[in-house]
Amino acid sequence: MLIINCPYCGPRDQSEFSNGGEAHVKRPDGSKEIGDREWGEYVFIRANPKGLFYERWVHTHGCRKWFNCVRDTSTDEILVTYKLDEKKPNLNNFKSVVKTPSGEPEVGSGNFTVEK
Amino acid sequence: MKSINLKENQFIQFHQKISFKFDGVKYFGYKGDTIASALLRNNVNLVGRSFKYHRPRGIYTCGIEEPNALVQIISEYSEPNTRATIKKIYEGMEIESQNRWPSLENDFGSINNLFSPIFTAGFYYKTFMGPHKKFWKNLYEPLIRRAAGLGKPPKDFKGISNHIHHNVDITIIGGGLNGLLAAKSFINSNYDVLLIDFEEQLGGIINNSNKISSIDNKEPKDWLKETIQEIEDSKNIKILKNTLVTTYNYINHLIAIEDRFVGSKPIEGKVNSTLHKIRTGHTILCNGHIERFLSFQNNDLPGIMLSSSFEKYMCRYGLAPSKEPVIFSNNSNSNSLVYSLIKAGLKPKAYIDSRSGEEIEPNLFDLIRKNDVPLYTNSQIKGAFGNKKIEKILVEDSSGALNEIKCDCLCLSGGINSDVHLFTQSKGLLDWDEKDLTYKPSKPFQPTITLGSASGQFNFDNLNSDINEKLKTFKVKKLDVKLELNTNAKYNIEKLWEVSPQKKSLWAKSFIDLQNDVTTKDIRQAITEGFDRIEHLKRYTTNSMGTDQGKISSINALGIVSDLLDKKVNEVGTTIYRPPYAPLSFSAIAGRNCYEFYDPERKSPIHNWHLKNGAIFEDVGQWKRPWYFQINKDESMHDAVQRESKNVRENAGILDGSTLGKIEIKGEDALEFMNLIYTNSFTKMKQGSARYALMLGEDGMVKDDGIICKISDQHFIATTTTGGAATVLGCMEEYAQTEWPNLKVFMNSITEQYATFNISGPKTREIMKKAFPNINFSNEEFPFMTFQFHEFNGVPIRILRASFTGELGYEIYIPSNSAPKIWDNIQSVGKEFGLAPYGTEAMHLLRAEKGYIIVGQDTDGSITPIDLGLSWMIGKSKKDFLGKRSLTRSDTIREDRKQLVGIIPSNKTDKLEEGQHIILDKEIKSPVPMLGHITSCYYSPTLGHDFALAVIKNGHSMIGTKAYASTSSMGTTGVDIVKPVFYDEGNKRLVS
Ligand SMILES: [Zn+2]
Repeated sequence: MLIINCPYCGPRDQSEFSNGGEAHVKRPDGSKEIGDREWGEYVFIRANPKGLFYERWVHTHGCRKWFNCVRDTSTDEILVTYKLDEKKPNLNNFKSVVKTPSGEPEVGSGNFTVEK
Repeated sequence: MKSINLKENQFIQFHQKISFKFDGVKYFGYKGDTIASALLRNNVNLVGRSFKYHRPRGIYTCGIEEPNALVQIISEYSEPNTRATIKKIYEGMEIESQNRWPSLENDFGSINNLFSPIFTAGFYYKTFMGPHKKFWKNLYEPLIRRAAGLGKPPKDFKGISNHIHHNVDITIIGGGLNGLLAAKSFINSNYDVLLIDFEEQLGGIINNSNKISSIDNKEPKDWLKETIQEIEDSKNIKILKNTLVTTYNYINHLIAIEDRFVGSKPIEGKVNSTLHKIRTGHTILCNGHIERFLSFQNNDLPGIMLSSSFEKYMCRYGLAPSKEPVIFSNNSNSNSLVYSLIKAGLKPKAYIDSRSGEEIEPNLFDLIRKNDVPLYTNSQIKGAFGNKKIEKILVEDSSGALNEIKCDCLCLSGGINSDVHLFTQSKGLLDWDEKDLTYKPSKPFQPTITLGSASGQFNFDNLNSDINEKLKTFKVKKLDVKLELNTNAKYNIEKLWEVSPQKKSLWAKSFIDLQNDVTTKDIRQAITEGFDRIEHLKRYTTNSMGTDQGKISSINALGIVSDLLDKKVNEVGTTIYRPPYAPLSFSAIAGRNCYEFYDPERKSPIHNWHLKNGAIFEDVGQWKRPWYFQINKDESMHDAVQRESKNVRENAGILDGSTLGKIEIKGEDALEFMNLIYTNSFTKMKQGSARYALMLGEDGMVKDDGIICKISDQHFIATTTTGGAATVLGCMEEYAQTEWPNLKVFMNSITEQYATFNISGPKTREIMKKAFPNINFSNEEFPFMTFQFHEFNGVPIRILRASFTGELGYEIYIPSNSAPKIWDNIQSVGKEFGLAPYGTEAMHLLRAEKGYIIVGQDTDGSITPIDLGLSWMIGKSKKDFLGKRSLTRSDTIREDRKQLVGIIPSNKTDKLEEGQHIILDKEIKSPVPMLGHITSCYYSPTLGHDFALAVIKNGHSMIGTKAYASTSSMGTTGVDIVKPVFYDEGNKRLVS
């Protein structure tokens, strides 16, 4: 189980939080014309990288605040959490080496190498 | 096997006798005995029958790695699969052996052993497949379940377990020599330290063997006592005994189980185990090593035991399981058993070593020579033989000659493995050590430190430097401990996994997994059949898939496979040890979250009244809601629902609607916020009026509905469905925070603060007048879809004129504490008008007659408001709201979408069924094009026939046509497709 550092409450157990998917996905401005593709991508398409990922969480059983984080999806390590109005951190600030338990490559699944 | 008692020690006192029963026979043991040591003391060697072949089995080890001696504790709710080598006895304990019938001595299932040549790897997969699928479920599985398996499920079991959370800097797992030394380093430091040991006494190898002769020039036991005292006195170290760490999760999260009743019978109603959930900065693994066995013919006979286990029985329990065991080894770890035996005045019947004379340690040589122990070097045991117990062995000596040795006990050592289970659970990587022939921890994945034999240090040479180096980061005092050994040997091992039997026979069995009855032949067969990946092989043969996870044998299997494939062991790879380390009972995991606390029950403030008035309840989310009310015990549900529904149409009914979600929305920008959340427009709505509203997902699909009351532009109260309350509030909060943080708006759940009564029916106005005489309920003063605040006997109430039944109706919102009183009052004044309570089922029937949908029943997350014929609810002039843009997606505007329609049987006496398909043809000829399905279906007492709501393709344009509904008896019923409203289409009853 992860420990997640709520920017408002501090480090708490994962069971208090809910995951909200990819962060920094901007909802298209409803007052303007929105194209099918733009809207479709907002509603249905999310990134699913192996490695560093901007992600939203909400402290459901706590302060009920939404916040963002950078999580390494290959190790589940949460590298930083920050408030919604804070600037998103540059991913280059983190070691982006995918260090999965079995040392898998960056692309592909399981323990076998897939060519890029 | 004839055992003898040795000297008393601090763990066992011979004057403290304890009686217990095993398979109905009374025996005596001593306080401190495990079931296994007590049985050995009584020369009971046969303790169980094996999983598949029902072979006789005895006690193989002296600890948690035990594969054989699993017993059922009758005196503890018949707890099955208890390791006899761990569980301590107590006065009056009752134990039974497992997997035998009618008795352990004469087991009918042992006939399986006779048929064993056909029970090879993959037997079940290959055999029990035909002739029909049903054969497996109805015939084969029940048969196999009776014949194979471990113990029987426990009876009337209600264990109580507590959960305790810890948050520490350092957790030391294992209180043996290295664990104690590590803990000693942290004495009075600034670190919060947890020291966990599985046993009742700390000390590990110091207690379990005679390997160490002195520590810091003191008797090991004296040193131990002093050290434990120092650790106990240190304020920053907490010791957990009788506690087994079973799980090592991400981010140094450990799960450990503490047995609260070691050596005594658990008291009913008392906490019998504690589950520790530990967060730690660093984990120091000092959990030692496990000895492995060797494979040869009949290596499962009772009387065969691991050599370090034999020594542990001597040192810990003052018991030699046999006076003259034969020892068979391929390594130096068994040296200390020879030393211990001779020190106790006993001597091995023979010492057999697969290593050559030059490799055998000189001081062992001396010891054996001096005491005239028959020595066989370069020799192997070809097989063990005997009836239900070991009687003789066959030894092939260095010259190739066969020697028969009579014996009652054989001690085995196939080498030692670092206990890497927890390390691999933590995702640490292992390396194969070709010299020590075992996997050792190499790269930790978390802040994990391994010490001693757990880290693969099988010698004591680097004891101080290793600990000092690995604990350097903590800047603690350096250790300088002086250690003297009795058997001064460097760990040395020769490769040996299996000895082939003397005679080839279909019945000759060399076991590789004792618990799952897997033989080395099964491994060979699996490889021949192509299962040569270790993870496949494990599943095909079930090797190391028992509750012991092959603790004494899984490495041997890797060795055998690597030889067969002619690969190095590290090329074969290793299977992954999974949590828990040892079986963990579900009751411990559940803790207090079971029975009535498993899932909280939510009850309305009127619940007690419902109980007294014949309510039959239905679960709606966590809520208990009256489903219908029985006027007497004989009334069927159908009759009750028909009666309740009719009464609402003719007189008046009252429904407890307290479970409906209620959310209060306030703030400067509340109006704008509500316009963005719901499809409706609230801008032009008058203060004090209410509106039925829909909430969509961004995909345009209906997610929830409810009634919105506008108190002012800055203050709204919304109701939600009973099940959707938390989701709707969560959604509002999410958008308020993430998308529109500029809006000044706040929202709060007031579901439990207010009870809601829904009164409806033609006589409702009369009842309301009588119940609330000061309020004017005339149509002019109190029109449909308006609400008013009032005070009634000092209680602030809100009354909303709305209806979910199609009749004149009011919803009364009352602070929960005052609700029962007002409910009672309405009941008594309503009597003369025929007011009766109705439940959710009648409510569903009544709303369906009006064509009102229930989100989640008539919709399924793929239905838009347009599909429901509710386009009028969409605020088209609004620039934006949740899901607005999706209503013009190519998918949501296509013509053949499923749309809500009404269905009535063409022949009014025909029945309809919920969930059945609507199709075009009378005859069912597959493939049948399906138009959609019936979502709600009832018999209407008002119409006098069945009617239904359905979602079908292109439904709106099919209104007025005929179709068919499938039936559960594989037939069809002719139906008319109609508008989804069956009663008072003009809403006259609603608004007058
Ligand atoms: Zn928080």
